[in-house]
Amino acid sequence: MANAVTQPVRAAGFGRRLAARARGGELQQFILRRIGQTILVLFCVATVTFFLVRLTGDPVKAMLPPTATEAQEEALRQQLGLGRPLLVQYLSYLDGIIHLDFGQSLFFHVPAFGLILQRMPATIELAAGAMVFALIVAIPAGIVAAVKRGTAADSSVVAAVLVGQSTPAFFVGILLILVFAVTVHWLPASGIGGITHLILPSITLGLYSMAMIARLLRSSLIDVLGEDYIRTARSKGLSRLQVIRDHGLQNAALPVVTIIGLEVGSLLGGAILTEQVFAWPGVGRLTVEAITNRDFPLMQAIVLFLSMIFVGANLVVDLAYAFLDPRVRLS
Amino acid sequence: MMKLWGTNRARAVRSVGAAAALVVAVSALAACSSSSSDSTKSSGAANSTLTVSIASDVVSLDPQLQGDLTSMSIADNIFDTLTVRGADNSLDPGLATKWKQVNPLTWQFTIRKGVKFTDGEPLDANAVAFSINRLLDPATKSPIVELVNVKDAVAVDANTVNFEMKSPDPVIPAKVSLFGGVVLPPKLLKKEGAAAFAQHPVGSGPYEFVSRQQDSQITLKANPDYWGPKPKVKNLVFKIIPDAASALAALQSGEVDIVTGITKDAANQLGNNPDTTVKSTPGIRTYSINLDTITSGPLSKPEVRQALNYAVDVPTLIKTVMAGAAQQTPTLIPDSVYGYDKSVKPFTYSVSKAKQLLSQAGYPSGFSTTLDASSADSALAQGIAGELAKVGVKAKVNLVDPQTAKSDVITLNQRHDGAMYLVANSGWTLDSVSFLQSVIKSDRRSSRWNNAEANQLVVTGETETDPSKRLQAFSQMQTLLKDQAPFVYLFDINNTYAMRSDVKWTMPVTGILSMSSAQLG
Repeated sequence: MANAVTQPVRAAGFGRRLAARARGGELQQFILRRIGQTILVLFCVATVTFFLVRLTGDPVKAMLPPTATEAQEEALRQQLGLGRPLLVQYLSYLDGIIHLDFGQSLFFHVPAFGLILQRMPATIELAAGAMVFALIVAIPAGIVAAVKRGTAADSSVVAAVLVGQSTPAFFVGILLILVFAVTVHWLPASGIGGITHLILPSITLGLYSMAMIARLLRSSLIDVLGEDYIRTARSKGLSRLQVIRDHGLQNAALPVVTIIGLEVGSLLGGAILTEQVFAWPGVGRLTVEAITNRDFPLMQAIVLFLSMIFVGANLVVDLAYAFLDPRVRLS
Repeated sequence: MMKLWGTNRARAVRSVGAAAALVVAVSALAACSSSSSDSTKSSGAANSTLTVSIASDVVSLDPQLQGDLTSMSIADNIFDTLTVRGADNSLDPGLATKWKQVNPLTWQFTIRKGVKFTDGEPLDANAVAFSINRLLDPATKSPIVELVNVKDAVAVDANTVNFEMKSPDPVIPAKVSLFGGVVLPPKLLKKEGAAAFAQHPVGSGPYEFVSRQQDSQITLKANPDYWGPKPKVKNLVFKIIPDAASALAALQSGEVDIVTGITKDAANQLGNNPDTTVKSTPGIRTYSINLDTITSGPLSKPEVRQALNYAVDVPTLIKTVMAGAAQQTPTLIPDSVYGYDKSVKPFTYSVSKAKQLLSQAGYPSGFSTTLDASSADSALAQGIAGELAKVGVKAKVNLVDPQTAKSDVITLNQRHDGAMYLVANSGWTLDSVSFLQSVIKSDRRSSRWNNAEANQLVVTGETETDPSKRLQAFSQMQTLLKDQAPFVYLFDINNTYAMRSDVKWTMPVTGILSMSSAQLG
C-alpha cells in the first residue's frame, strides 16, 4: 500500500529531472549518438556477413545436379545475379537494405525477410513456452534450495540443476518423446499444433534456462538472507514467509531478472537442436536450411535480422538507462 | 550492469510483472492455436488420412523451381507427367498416350484427351508446350537440367506436341517421367503469376493441394475427377520431421503412417514392434570410388585399379556398414536400369589376387593415397580404407560436409585434388546413360579417365536412335568398365522406410513418393 503513495511522487520527480536534462540537449545528443552507433554496428554486420557467406561455397552448385553442364551452371548463375562482380553485388545488396529489401531467397524463390517473418511466430511461441516452463520450475526450486540450504531438498535442486545444464537438447528431447509420446501416449511426438505440442519442446528448450535461473536465484537469495535488514525484519516480528517474499525475494530477484532478459534473447536467437528434434518450424530450422543450401541472401537476412533484435534490444536498454542514470551518458 | 539493476528495485519488480504477462500471453497463444490441432491425426477416422513423414521441406511448390527428390515427390502427387514409371519400372503412358521420334531432331507426344486441371482448365497440347517452354526459359531460373537438348516445344494440334531438338536425345521419353515432364495450367499461371501459383499450386494429378505450413506440413486431398486410377486414401499429409529418431517415435505413437528418408540402422529403433514394419526395397543410388587415372602414378595403371576392386570386400561392407540394405553393382549401373548387362559379373573379393596385380604393376608393398568422402558416408569411407590397408594401400580418409563434397565433385572434377573420392550417383531417368555421361566421357566435368572407346560409347548412348544399338553400346561399356576399372565399383543402396503394419505401399526405385497407390487397413 505504501507504494501507491510514493509512486506518483517519484514519477513526478523523475519527470522533472528528465525535462532538465532534455533542456540541455544532453539527452538528445546521447540518443543520436546511440542510434548512430547502432546503424554502424548493423552496417558492419551486413558487410561482414556478405563477404563471409561467400566463403562457404557456391549456391548454384548446391542447386544443380552433378549432370548439369558448365553452360547451364553459368546461365543459372547469371539469372540469380551471382555472376556480377562482387563489388557490384555488394553495393546492390546495401542499396536493397536501405530500401528495406533484403533480397530474394535463391532456393525458395521468395523474399528472404518474408521467410523469416513467417517463422517468427513459431519461434516466439517456443521461446515463450520455454521461458514459462523455466520460471515455473526455477523460482520455487531456487527459493526452496536457498531457504532449506544444506538439506536434502537443496541437494536435489542442485543435482537437478547440474543435470539440466549439462544434458544436450537432442538427448532430453528424444527421451521425453519416447516416454510421453511413444510409451504413455500423453503428448504428440513432434510438430506444431495446440498446447500439447508445445509442452515437450518447451521443457527441452527451457531446461537450460531453468537450471541457470534456479541456480542464480538460490545463490542470490542465500546472499540476501544473510543481510542485516533481513534480521531486522525478522526481529520486528514478520513471519518467515513475509520476510522471504517482501524482503528476500525482491532483492534477490535483481540479478535473476537480468539473466532472464538475456535468456529470452538467446531463446529467440534460435533453438536449432530443439527445433530439429521436435520438427518445430522456427527460425533455427530456417537457419540450418539456409546454410546447407548456401542460400546467400537468406543467410544474410537471418544474421541481419537477429542482429537487429539484439542491437535493438540493447539500444532500448541503453536509452532506458540514460533516462534513469545520467552516469551512463558519460561513458 | 548488475549494479545498475541493483539500484532500482522497482524496475526489477516491473520486469517480474512483465514475465507474468508473458505467461498469460503464451497460454492465450497456445489456447488459440489448439483449436486447429489434431485434425490430421491419421489412425481411425474411417481410415481416410495417410500421414507420411519426410526429412526436409520442399524447396518450392512450383514444380519447375525445384530439382530435388523431396520436392518432386510432393509435385508428383499434385501434378501429372507426360510419361510414368510402372511397377516393373517400365516407361508407361502418363499425360502422353504415345510418343515417337519422328526424325532425329523431333520427338512427338500424343496428349491424352479430356484431362482437366483441378480448376477446370483443359490440359491440352498447348498446356504441354507452354510448360516445356516455361522450363526452358532462362527467366524461370529452373534448376532442372535434363531438357538441355530441347530447343522448344510446339503444339501441332490440340493433342499433339513436338519437341524440337538442338541435338538428338533418345532419353527424352524417360526424362519427361519426372521433373521436366510436369504439366502446369497456363491460364492460371498467367493470371496469378508464378509467386502466387507456388503458394497454391494447381495440377491435374491424383491429389489436390490444400494447405502448407512451411517446414511443418503439407496437406493434400484426393482429386475426385482424376483421370487415372483413383487414389485409395482421401487425405494425404506430408509431415516434415528432420530427425530420424523423432520421425520413428511419431510412427510408434501413431502420428504418422510412413517414415521415409531413414537408414536401415536408424530403423532398428523400432525393434520387433508388431504395429510397424521396416521395408527395404531396391533403389538406384549407386556408390563408387572415382579414381584419378589421368595423373601419372599407381592409379594410371589398370592392374592397380583392378587390384583395388579385388581388395574391397563389397558383400561384407554391405552386410556391416549398410546393414544389408544394398546390392553389389558389377560396374556403375544398377540392375533396375535400362541397359544393365547381367552377363558382366562383379569383381570377387580376393586379397591374393589384389596383391598379385599390385606386384605386377610394380607396387608389391602397396602405396599411400587419399580417399575423399562426404561426412555422411564416413563409416563407409573408413571401411573401404580398412579393406585397402589389407593389401598395403594406405588411403588417408578426408571428410567434408555433404554439400561441400557435392560441389567439389562438380567444380573440381578433373582438377579434383584427391586421388580417390567416394561418390553416389542417382540416375532417376533409369537409363544407363544417366549413370555414365558425366563421369566417363573425358571432356565431361566429373570424368578423370580418357579412353577413346568409352568416349565413343557415351556418344552412342546419348544420341543413337536405334534402341538395339544403344543397348549394345551399354553392354560394351560395362565390359570395358570391368576390364579397365577406372572406378572401384561398390553397390546401389535400397530405399529404406518404415510403415504402420496396416499400410500397404511400395516405394518406387526412384524414391519418389507417389502415394496414390497407398492403402490403409
